[in-house]
Amino acid sequence: MSAVSVRGLSKAFGPLRVLRDIDLPVEAGEFTVLLGPSGCGKSTLLNAIAGLEDIDGGTIEIGDMDVTHHEPSKRGIAMVFQSYALYPTMSVRGNLSFGLRVKSTPKREVEKRIEWASRLLQIDELLDRKPSQLSGGQRQRVAIGRALVQQARVFLFDEPLSNLDAKLRTEMRVELKRLHKELGATIIYVTHDQIEAMTLATRIAVMRGGRIEQYATPDTLYEQPATLFVAGFVGSPAMNFLRGELVGDAMRAVRFGAVTLPLNGYPFQHGQVARDVVIGVRPEHISLAQDIPIEATVEADTLFMEPMGADTLGWFQCGEHRLAARLSPQVARGINGRVRLNFAMDQVSLFDPESEARL
Amino acid sequence: MPLNRSIAIPWSGRLAVTAAGAVKASRPYRARSLMAKLVLVPTVLVMLVCFYGSALWTVYISMTRSFLLPTYAFAGGAQYERLFHTPRWQVAYSNMFLFGVLDIVGTLFLGTLLAVLLDRRVRFEGLFRTIMLYPLSISFIVTGLTWQWVLSPTIGFQNFIRGLGWNDFVFDWITQPDRAIYTLVFAGIWHQSGLIMAIMLAGLRGIDREIWRAIRVEGIPAWRAYIHIILPMLRPLIVTCIVLIAIAVVKSYDLVVAMTNGGPGFASDLPGKFVVDFEFERANIGQASAAATVMLGSVLAIVAPYLYFELSRKNR
Amino acid sequence: MTAASAQARIGRIGLYVLLLWTCLFFSIPLLVVIATSLKTSDEVRTFSIFSLPASPSFAAWVKAWLSACTGLNCGGVHVGFWNSVRILIPSVIISVFAGSVTGYALSHWRVRGANIIMLFLLLGAFIPYQVILYPLVKMFSTIGIYSSLPCIISVHVLFGLPVMSLLFRNYYAGLPEELVKAARIDGAGFWRIFFWVMLPMSVNILIVATILQTTGIWNDYLLGLIFAGRDNIPMTVQLNAISTTSTGVIEYNVNTAAALLTALPPLLIYFTSGRYFVRGITAGAVKG
Repeated sequence: MSAVSVRGLSKAFGPLRVLRDIDLPVEAGEFTVLLGPSGCGKSTLLNAIAGLEDIDGGTIEIGDMDVTHHEPSKRGIAMVFQSYALYPTMSVRGNLSFGLRVKSTPKREVEKRIEWASRLLQIDELLDRKPSQLSGGQRQRVAIGRALVQQARVFLFDEPLSNLDAKLRTEMRVELKRLHKELGATIIYVTHDQIEAMTLATRIAVMRGGRIEQYATPDTLYEQPATLFVAGFVGSPAMNFLRGELVGDAMRAVRFGAVTLPLNGYPFQHGQVARDVVIGVRPEHISLAQDIPIEATVEADTLFMEPMGADTLGWFQCGEHRLAARLSPQVARGINGRVRLNFAMDQVSLFDPESEARL
Repeated sequence: MPLNRSIAIPWSGRLAVTAAGAVKASRPYRARSLMAKLVLVPTVLVMLVCFYGSALWTVYISMTRSFLLPTYAFAGGAQYERLFHTPRWQVAYSNMFLFGVLDIVGTLFLGTLLAVLLDRRVRFEGLFRTIMLYPLSISFIVTGLTWQWVLSPTIGFQNFIRGLGWNDFVFDWITQPDRAIYTLVFAGIWHQSGLIMAIMLAGLRGIDREIWRAIRVEGIPAWRAYIHIILPMLRPLIVTCIVLIAIAVVKSYDLVVAMTNGGPGFASDLPGKFVVDFEFERANIGQASAAATVMLGSVLAIVAPYLYFELSRKNR
Repeated sequence: MTAASAQARIGRIGLYVLLLWTCLFFSIPLLVVIATSLKTSDEVRTFSIFSLPASPSFAAWVKAWLSACTGLNCGGVHVGFWNSVRILIPSVIISVFAGSVTGYALSHWRVRGANIIMLFLLLGAFIPYQVILYPLVKMFSTIGIYSSLPCIISVHVLFGLPVMSLLFRNYYAGLPEELVKAARIDGAGFWRIFFWVMLPMSVNILIVATILQTTGIWNDYLLGLIFAGRDNIPMTVQLNAISTTSTGVIEYNVNTAAALLTALPPLLIYFTSGRYFVRGITAGAVKG
């Protein structure tokens, strides 16, 4: 049983098709992250699930009930907003209880839930304050608390951490993960921050131009990106892309410039046909070949090194391509001039340059 | 890391473009509600009937032979022809321009000057502002009566100066048919320049501080900076001020009623007073409607281009 | 002292001199009127109004309040004062409420043609009163309330509608839309969001709107003259009638006192809440 099931959802603002035939099943207890650059339609999708945005086609089910035409408050959802949207004239307690009072929840029950949520979020000391008297992190907790007291089936988060500074954001990320684990709640979460997505999600839907490009676990997304866009968007620094050509019997190797690299039984998805390919290599899958003569090596010129603490990012020029490699600081020190780079060929991804799809 | 994203795939311009120029989906959120529409029904009705319907009625009546009571037989421009041959209207209409130009120039000049002075980090700024703005809170009736008393030759300024020993001093414009209209300008400037000062001062305070730093670094004297740099930057605001005063001039009624009551004779009459007198005292609906339509046309001639430019500027 | 700093000092002095002169220009009319209102009748007849009262007394004020004459009717301006109060209070309450609801509906709810409605309101605010006075008189006569308290109140609400609606619309449009989203998810509808979320956040703009309407309606002359009727003539109309009465000796001390009494309520509002007043007056500058 899916907790949320979106089928064939589409939506246009005039000529702009902001959502195109979206399918998104979310299992109970899942933490689904909608990830994408700004304007990809992820917030619109979330608002459509919440019922805050009219849709042009498709259906939305929440907990086996078709809610496509239901009012937001009748969908069994709760939502946390980017700006928190706390009612500025009400105290924290008033903010937490407003929705319950609107629904005429018995007073006892309201108090019980407020106590439960405020304990859980450690805001029980702040109940009588006004939002303006709270810090950013505290406001964030109140916003989450307002969602929690609803005891909704599904929680929707719209970029909830983007207004916090870096340190608080890390803290709240851990906090959210803990809440998800403790409550076993179903969460749909919008962000443009891939670190947030990778660390929080059980599944990530990467969106672009109103479409879901790939919907998979963080690991799958990172290791087997389905499209060139996903490959380039997820991971920092981004994946290196090189233009090449499939060669040899049954396409067992890829030629790139003057070198031919073996593919070591790359798991082609379908009987592909293209000869031109884009080879995607993550920076951590490029290493310095040093003395050992391995077959899968390319020559490159050292450009510069970017020390990042735990590792160093090495930049190399290789023909028309500029490559980034994640190196250990020890190795990186003293590198210059012409070097040989080794690609971990069993980790690369191949894409069709025309369709941008994974091969 | 933007560096990598832009250069790692130099040949794939298409991809970079589609990722960056993705669909812009931001549009303000508006929920539907039947109640919202219901609430607006009376507003729309009132606007359509009382404002636009009434205005159209007046415009139509101005093109009939209506006299004591409205009649509806179309008569073209006859009322206008008669109107512009009426000496009293000729005076009122040209007074509008005379009063308008002087009032706009005077109010704008004084208001801007005061705003600039207050912008120079003056001590007791709050006190100065309070004094400059209080006339705005006073009705045109009280303003008009006050200036009538101050300018009255028998009890006011002339009398005062004569009392100081200059027995031949004459300042009796308010009783001179060819001068009375100018006395309205005094009162108009007195009442309105505070408003212009407040608007312009807000604009001056909104000027980027960096601009002022640049001006100081280049050693440009303050007065030149205002004339050549700062005030030109506020041009849209100045246009707004001009439009505001111009509309107030076209509409003005209370001030002239209280100050000169259009006199001596009808030497200081204005269209606003002409319309009300013809409608409610002389009961000549046709002439009143024609004059009112001229007022409406004058306001439209000011407002339409202004709104057009203002809205297109904001959309840009 | 260098030449440059001497020049700067002269500039500074010039600046203050200029400011003081303009302050004289602004304050002298009021001071003259105050001085005259404190004089005795004899003093007014013999000296110019610029002279100071020899023995200030409030006799003229009392007379203006209790027994100033309009023609043969010597009831004093307190009649007009209370008429103005009776017109003012319902007019302000209704027009501020109507404006806030209209502005709210136009800003946070999807209404087809909202932009057109706003353009209608905006242009409506520019229409001179004179253009629509006569048709309005006819309409009110037809429904039988012309020249009455309800009539003048309706007229004030009517003429307040465009500016009030736009004032509130602009304010509400600046509030985050996520607040409405959150309230909708909480299950609140049109009115509950208005009364529980929006109105509590509108205290400042409510003050601005109330002050703008209060001073505007109090200072109105033309509408009161035409729509209020003999029994409800507002203070401004009465004041003008008193001051332009030409029978007998003109009692300038009484007339100035009556003028001051008429100007006092808006002046008090201005001196106690100038900031809101200025915000309102700049927002509503197109009215009338």
